[in-house]
Amino acid sequence: MVSAIYILIAALGAAFFLGFLKDGMRATAFAVTLAALVFMNFVSAGWLWSFAVDAAAPVEILTAGFSPPFAINLRMGLTEASLTLLVSLSGLLSALYLKDVLLALGRRSMAVLLIAVMALCGIILTRDTFNLFVFFELASIATAGLVLLSEDERALSAGFKYMIVAQAISVFLLIGIIFSYHATGTLNIDGMADASTELKTGASIAFFLMFIAVVAELKPFPANGWALDIYESAHPAFSAIFSAASGAAFLYAADKLLHIGGAAWFPLATGIGIITFVAANLLALPQSNDRRLLGYSSIAQTGLVLAVLGQQDILGDRYLFVAGGLLLAHSIAKAGLYWLSGLIAGRALPDWAALRSRPLLIFAFIVFIAMLSGLPPFPGFYAKWELARLLAGDGRIALLALILFGALLEAGYLFRWFGYILKREQPAQPVVCTPHKLAPVIAAVAAGWALGYLWGDLSGHANLLLTVPLLFALSFLLLEWLPAWIKNTLAIAGMLAFFVLTYAEYDPLRLIFAVIILIGGPVIFLASYHEHGRRLGFYPAAMLMFAGLALLIRTGDSFGFFAAWELLTVGSYFLILRGKHSEPHALSYIVFSLGGAFLILAGFALAAQGAAQYDLASLGLLTQPLAPWVFMLLAIGFMTKTAAIGLHIWLPGAHGEAETDVSPMVSGILLKAGLFGLFVLLMSMGKQQLYGIELTHVLLWIGALSALLGNLMAIFEEDAKRLLAYSSIGQMGYAVFGLALMNHLGWLMALMFVINHYIYKSMLFLSAGGVAKRTGTRDMYRMGGLITLMPLSFIATLIGIIAVSGVPPLSGFGGRWIFYNAILTSDARLPMVVLFFAGPIAFLYLFRLIHTVFLGQLKDEHRKLKEAPFWIILPQMIFVVLLLVFAVVPGLALRRVDIYLNQFFPEGGLNWAGTTISSNYGYWNPVAIMIAVAVIFGSLFAWLLFVNRKAQKVKQFNIVFAGERPYRPETTHFAWNFFAPYRKALGFMVQPFVTRFWEGLTNLLHVAADLSRRLYNGNGQSYAFHFIAFVVVVHFLWTGV
Amino acid sequence: MIYIAMATGFLLILIGFYGALTNRNLLRMIVAFSIADTGVNLVIISVGYLPGRTAPILDTTVTAAAAATRIIDPVPQALVLTAIVIGVGITALMLAYALKLYEKKRTLDIAKFTELKW
Repeated sequence: MVSAIYILIAALGAAFFLGFLKDGMRATAFAVTLAALVFMNFVSAGWLWSFAVDAAAPVEILTAGFSPPFAINLRMGLTEASLTLLVSLSGLLSALYLKDVLLALGRRSMAVLLIAVMALCGIILTRDTFNLFVFFELASIATAGLVLLSEDERALSAGFKYMIVAQAISVFLLIGIIFSYHATGTLNIDGMADASTELKTGASIAFFLMFIAVVAELKPFPANGWALDIYESAHPAFSAIFSAASGAAFLYAADKLLHIGGAAWFPLATGIGIITFVAANLLALPQSNDRRLLGYSSIAQTGLVLAVLGQQDILGDRYLFVAGGLLLAHSIAKAGLYWLSGLIAGRALPDWAALRSRPLLIFAFIVFIAMLSGLPPFPGFYAKWELARLLAGDGRIALLALILFGALLEAGYLFRWFGYILKREQPAQPVVCTPHKLAPVIAAVAAGWALGYLWGDLSGHANLLLTVPLLFALSFLLLEWLPAWIKNTLAIAGMLAFFVLTYAEYDPLRLIFAVIILIGGPVIFLASYHEHGRRLGFYPAAMLMFAGLALLIRTGDSFGFFAAWELLTVGSYFLILRGKHSEPHALSYIVFSLGGAFLILAGFALAAQGAAQYDLASLGLLTQPLAPWVFMLLAIGFMTKTAAIGLHIWLPGAHGEAETDVSPMVSGILLKAGLFGLFVLLMSMGKQQLYGIELTHVLLWIGALSALLGNLMAIFEEDAKRLLAYSSIGQMGYAVFGLALMNHLGWLMALMFVINHYIYKSMLFLSAGGVAKRTGTRDMYRMGGLITLMPLSFIATLIGIIAVSGVPPLSGFGGRWIFYNAILTSDARLPMVVLFFAGPIAFLYLFRLIHTVFLGQLKDEHRKLKEAPFWIILPQMIFVVLLLVFAVVPGLALRRVDIYLNQFFPEGGLNWAGTTISSNYGYWNPVAIMIAVAVIFGSLFAWLLFVNRKAQKVKQFNIVFAGERPYRPETTHFAWNFFAPYRKALGFMVQPFVTRFWEGLTNLLHVAADLSRRLYNGNGQSYAFHFIAFVVVVHFLWTGV
Repeated sequence: MIYIAMATGFLLILIGFYGALTNRNLLRMIVAFSIADTGVNLVIISVGYLPGRTAPILDTTVTAAAAATRIIDPVPQALVLTAIVIGVGITALMLAYALKLYEKKRTLDIAKFTELKW
């Protein structure tokens, strides 16, 4: 094994050698630089291998022939090896990326780059405080030099601002070091750690100065204006080093100092770290410059790791797993994003839309933001889970809440940015893509996946990258070159095969969800055959969602559940974002969903109380006072997916604007994930009381209000798909209500809604989508009279609305019947009344679908329309048959579940005798009802045909606007604002209060951020003042506490 | 005596910081930081000083065997040497920066270089 000191020697030697080369030999100089960097990587990688694979012991490297404390010593261990590899690898890749710049500037610039990488490796390796100072100063000087690689003239002032702050930092560092030396008699880090009792007290000013100086290099809020200016103006390849490598090295330096100071100083690290994390993410919200935004995010992530450094007392042997996972995910993603930013010509966030011409780079961007947001299957996800578990296990709830809040802010601006990339206008300048600039980006992507695998392996849970559904979904990434119909066939076959293979493993309740996901999904996928071309991005996203859903219903432990939840959230986000005007709706969807996911994470972490493995079934063992809080966190988390009122504002846009075949997937299937979560929750936890309030009673109210308001909002909607979307809010309200009844029939009703809603909402979305495809609009008042042109769509819609409205003979009636029985056994009268009101309102909006779209007068421009495309009609017809079958023999699905539910509620089940189903209050015979209705309908229809046999057709357009010239002609259409009188009466209830609330909240955050970031006024002197004031204020807060 | 040296050192640091924070001229700021650096060096030296002892040079008057009782702590002196060298490097780099900044805008006023902010 090559001694680690050669990492430093190689860089120094090469930098020295570069000085002997003639200025003209730039290619040679560049080759020498690369060779030195490759060698440094080789040494680090070799050590990493021997530590990680062969479990070698850490090695001390002595210098000058003496052992410490008489000479400086270096140490090479697992952490050092990983970090030096990270530093030298980012140095190497950035050098490659900088090829043109370095060749243009000559050997001196290369020497500075080598010194920078060497200094950072030195910071990692050294075990001597003064040596640490020397490497700090070398890193500062090299940083100030490398900032100037940029073509941006403003980099000059940024570099100078940095020098000013670096001067102040070095003063504090030196004073701190010399007095620590005075207190301990050694400069050696381990020596200080052993000798010091004084430094460990938490009141030592010497240690404080040393520590705060190191922390200052981590860009703590608010003493970090200089760093932001560097990030904004420096060459992106340098920013990659500055963010990934410098951040890692300085964090490790902070870790070494904490080793000296001990546990007394941990809260200081955590405090500074978490404030920086939240503040930097908040201030990033109003950013419009990409590199400055990444700078804010960098600062935030470094702050998060610093906060984690301060939690090592509870992290125990998971410390490296958590801190390393967060740090590596951040470093790789940030380096990758900075490298990407060098390929983009414009600096505004929407300029990144240029990436659209390069799907591979979009994929890279997705990987990077997923890593930063801590999404599975990347290391940050596992680290986040462990961190939450251990924090909650030790009762550090406030810290956990702040971390999750900051992470949500960060995910918010990152995904907003992604929305710009996919949806904003592509700028004129294309992506500049040369191989040496592309290679680092690809390397970062590969490293991200590799680490995702590694962290999954180390997690102690199932490695997500080895789960069949996820692998299947990811394999579609490799199949993107195939035409859509082949991929569609593969998707359908894969899902069906998975169902067949796993069929026996589900209990009756899960089986219903499994059928909806794994059989119901493929039925909707039939509609996807209509799409031609390659349909880039659709299948990986859709299959990711289905993989998440499949994993969700199969998992038994909280980790698997949460991972599946995040997977399905991300997959569905990409699906929803595909809609033409989906950008803002997809964003609000992902923010609500991730917010919900974080609540779920917090709930599980609280419930586990630090246990590494936690089964969902153990939720039932929780006791007061913890149980109701866990219940509440989980329930709210799940209700972000069912779009309960208050958390619903994302749904109408997300479902309405989605593509034709996506709407039924995200409505008919995805919404059930939330219901499944509630099922699991209520099944194990049952009724919970918080401060004397019955939480299931609150759920009842939420369900009833969602049903009422969702339906009300639907009746005033002009857009057919949005109408259906609002109707989903109402329908999910019914299901939540049923669950919250906490009795046998209530649950059966909720399950009935699960099945029914899947069938009729998928069908209605498909027919509305098919009609919209032909007419080119979703506004119902622009349609009319389509019954003769699109009879099959009409039939599907008719059957659909009969089923939704819950009138005989279709299955909706069965749902209602069970529902009426269920509420007879419950004593929740008031929410029941509210729910009753919701019923007739549903008629109002459903009526419009038939009346406005299919009946009435045909529009002139629609005269030559054809029936909706075959592949969109086909699944609708399947659904029609399904609905009819399910209406006649509901026992097919419900009977087994009814028996299954007996173990939770032995009382009040149904009797299934022959074709008749009876309860305590009455009976329901679906077959008889079907026959009766068919006879009545048939005879009336025959009579109608008979009396109309001589009817004369009246020509269209025999009326005009009655002499008026309307300002907006469409407003004269009778279907425009159809329910105006109702709006007058009930409109106050559908005022967008909730939307205004959430908008107000986000505006407040933005305004607060926009005001606070003015702190960074650009003046180097102010930055120096910030730093000194930061030190003073922190000191007083610290000693005051 | 050592307290006077140490107090002077801290005073110089404070003067340096005061100067750096109140002077908007780049060159004056650099001078101010040099003063602060000198103060730091003085503080380091004074920490290593032991009253009544001699310089840490081993020769015929101070033998290696007697060194432990007769010389002052040599480590801070070695550190100061390093710190001085680094300080020179940083000052040189800052001066180079100041020159470039002056060439760009024909001003040495730090408040004029605020195009990067927020």
